[in-house]
Amino acid sequence: MTLKRFSLSGFLSLWPAWILLSLVVAALFAPAIVPFDPDRQNLLARLKPPGFESRGAAYFLGSDELGRDVLSRLIYGARISLAVAALSVILSGAVGILVGMAAGYLRGWSETILMRLVDIFLSIPAILLAIITVAVLGPGFINVILVLALTRWPRYARVAYGQTLAIADRPFVQLARAMGSSPWRVLAIHILPNIIGPLMVVATLEFGLMVLFEAGLSFLGLGVQPPTASWGSMMSSGRNYIATAWWITMFPGIALFLLVLSANLIGDRFSDHIGDGK
Amino acid sequence: MSLLTIQDLAIRTNDLSLVDGVTLDVQKGEVVALVGESGSGKSLTAMSVMGLLGDGLFVDGGTIKFDDTDLTQASSTTLNRLRGNEIAMIFQEPVSSLNPLLSVGAQVAESLVVHGRASPAQAYTKAIEMLRQVGIPEPESRARQLPSELSGGMCQRVMIAAALISNPRLLIADEPTTALDVTIQAQILDLMKDLTARSDTAILLITHDMGVVAELADRVCVMYGGSVVEQGPVDDIFEAPHHPYTQMLLKTLPRLDEPPKGALFAIPGNVPSPKDWPNGCRFQSRCDRPSDRCQTRPLLQGSETHRFACFHPVGDAS
Repeated sequence: MTLKRFSLSGFLSLWPAWILLSLVVAALFAPAIVPFDPDRQNLLARLKPPGFESRGAAYFLGSDELGRDVLSRLIYGARISLAVAALSVILSGAVGILVGMAAGYLRGWSETILMRLVDIFLSIPAILLAIITVAVLGPGFINVILVLALTRWPRYARVAYGQTLAIADRPFVQLARAMGSSPWRVLAIHILPNIIGPLMVVATLEFGLMVLFEAGLSFLGLGVQPPTASWGSMMSSGRNYIATAWWITMFPGIALFLLVLSANLIGDRFSDHIGDGK
Repeated sequence: MSLLTIQDLAIRTNDLSLVDGVTLDVQKGEVVALVGESGSGKSLTAMSVMGLLGDGLFVDGGTIKFDDTDLTQASSTTLNRLRGNEIAMIFQEPVSSLNPLLSVGAQVAESLVVHGRASPAQAYTKAIEMLRQVGIPEPESRARQLPSELSGGMCQRVMIAAALISNPRLLIADEPTTALDVTIQAQILDLMKDLTARSDTAILLITHDMGVVAELADRVCVMYGGSVVEQGPVDDIFEAPHHPYTQMLLKTLPRLDEPPKGALFAIPGNVPSPKDWPNGCRFQSRCDRPSDRCQTRPLLQGSETHRFACFHPVGDAS
């Protein structure tokens, strides 16, 4: 690997990665960089437009119906979006990959049972399943992650299953078995590293989708509960004032759009390098 | 007492018999060649010894005894203990038989690690030593490379190193030189001969190349249509084959010590597919001396050391 000289166009072509990275940094250091406490209400500064100043402090992106700073809430909302998306991708990916690999490698009745289960889960409308699950478990941060993992693991299972089928017949897997490796060792050492590329593509694309789903659930009131800032719930509460205070819904919307777009573009870039995974 | 004894082995799918009547034995330290055309059941026989028959294939009768363990009845735990430890295997395609994402050193060390016979670090050190023994130059730096960075011949050496590192008592080599250049073939064969002789490892060599047989084998076992048709010491088989199939197989070899007499000899016809196996002798459709007796299945007969399954053996006037 050689060090490339810095080039502006190369730097700019990676813009989706920079957007994602700056959101991650902002979310990590949110308490240090926000101008206001995101939950502090100021009824004297309700529905103020971007740039409004009050006692020396500026509301750069305006304030909401309770006088909270939109920028601060946006930054705290990034924490929720990124954490929910990352954790649900990890959870659904782990479950789906395990199920898919087991079905593709063990074959026989475990294949039949597991893959029919995948088919069943894929045929249930995701939003319906989410509403039912939240109705049973109640809304909240952890439950949103569980709901998302529950609805999305079959995607990974499908891909992992197909890839495992393709790899399991390769001679090096046979040789590994001929060396006395246990099925788990064969899966972990010989199959997983050889199928992880396409799965990473799926995971990146799913990440964007998870951000959208979380926002959607929070918008419907099924996700993270107020007063915790979340982009979905910000848009939901701001929609009553959209004619007079557009900034409450507009800025979370733009943030959501940019995050999902960058995740998808990174996923596409990934899949160009690795081959098809979709 | 034999190391490996296969008795009347039969392998089939749900609706098709693929191998029946394979009987052979391998003594300690001996090289037995299993010879036959593609589709004669050689590789299936080998895979059933490893307990690695593919999906939908199963052993339908007979026994495979390794020492006193019947491998057809053995649990997967027993099989996993033997595989890579007492019985090792080499495949035909050296490059695709190695994990493309794992360094060759780690792959050579694999069987020691799997069977808990050494810590990963010790196993890696032994792997480098093993790579040196199979003639890989600069084994320390080669061990860190991926299979894609090595040539086919090098990969085959790596596979031999991986198979022999655990000092197995039986090595099953499934066409180990078919995918290699002729010049490399001879080197690989010498290497196998040399290393196994040193450690007293027996080899079950699967091949369709009579040249390889002459080079390496002590005894030969000829398969046709899913069963053994002749077996005996390599010199007897080459000098005085009894089964007409063996004779024809030998005639297909071009000879350097005689002037060429026109076109090379080829056995007429094809190996019948298991669907179309005739009653009785399966070679009758391509044989030059079939008779009514061939409608019944010939059994292995002859002396203790040289046996054949034919009613009209070569050199017999009747």
